Amino acid sequence: MSRLKGRLSWAAMTLLAVVLLAFGATRSSGPSTQEERIDAISKRLACPTCNGESIYVSRASAAESIRNEIARQVAAGQRADDDIVGYIESRFPGSLLLPRAEGVDSLVWVLPVVALVCGFGGLVVVFRRWQREGAVRANPDDADIVAAAMRDHDDPTDGL
Amino acid sequence: MTTARRLSRRLAAVVGLVLVAFFVVLAVSKPRGDADVSSPLIGNPAPAVQSTLVGGGSFDLSRRKGSWVVLNFFNSTCVPCRNEHPELVAFAENQDGLADGAELFTVVNDDTDEAVSAFFEEKGGDWDKIRDPDGAIAVAFGVAKVPETWVIDPTGFVRMRVAGEVTASFLASRIDSMREMLTRTGS
Repeated sequence: MSRLKGRLSWAAMTLLAVVLLAFGATRSSGPSTQEERIDAISKRLACPTCNGESIYVSRASAAESIRNEIARQVAAGQRADDDIVGYIESRFPGSLLLPRAEGVDSLVWVLPVVALVCGFGGLVVVFRRWQREGAVRANPDDADIVAAAMRDHDDPTDGL
Repeated sequence: MTTARRLSRRLAAVVGLVLVAFFVVLAVSKPRGDADVSSPLIGNPAPAVQSTLVGGGSFDLSRRKGSWVVLNFFNSTCVPCRNEHPELVAFAENQDGLADGAELFTVVNDDTDEAVSAFFEEKGGDWDKIRDPDGAIAVAFGVAKVPETWVIDPTGFVRMRVAGEVTASFLASRIDSMREMLTRTGS
């Protein structure tokens, strides 16, 4: 009965975690201002002429031009953020700072989750094994050693 | 000497050689030039280009259909742009002498009218200079560094992109071969 309860609580916790993750991943952050949209898009794109800087951070001429283009497209209101990122990437291939969740790139997103699940599963297996094996029991030799030690303790004059 | 020590010495020698070769390649390599660079735009309609010209007037790429158009992205302070300028002057003169010669235009990248006008006055070149004040044309073509040269065919399709310096002979010969190819295929 208690085993069934334990399993049920594990299942409930797993379900809750999955639901919360799915909610967090898919929920909309709500409407944002044009400036916020421009900043958010700029942070997703790499400056084509500088190493390791985003369009948002870089002051390079090419980055300024791309920021202007993002601002123009946001102001026009005809494209979603992903479409604007797609347009810039089509002009400057390799400008995505974060890999897409498609093809081989998706491994970047999938592998950490797989590692987490495997680690969690491993811990569950180990804990279960420890539980089954129970506490460490003393063998007769251990009992003799303890008895001898107790005798010494009871009669401290022994051996004088 | 132990095997491990011999092995580590050999490994160190190999790493050292690779490093030396790396520095030699860096030291002797020439900057990019006269090399076609791929772009998703090649073989596709050219982006719309509408702007004003340095010195007055307007430019609309869609109205240049029927001619080969060469767009050279330029900045008067960029050294490779200054280096290639005599080649562009020679190319423009060469094309002026042809019945169906290409039209050359400069697209001004992150530069002032005054600096561009002063440069062309000193170095020559009487073709039109297209303003690109907010970099819209550069982004539309995916130009991050200048100089870059793009060739658009008479039907308005992008045919070639060259990143870095170009020479007059390279540009003329490539346009000639593309012209022949288009005539052969009838497109």
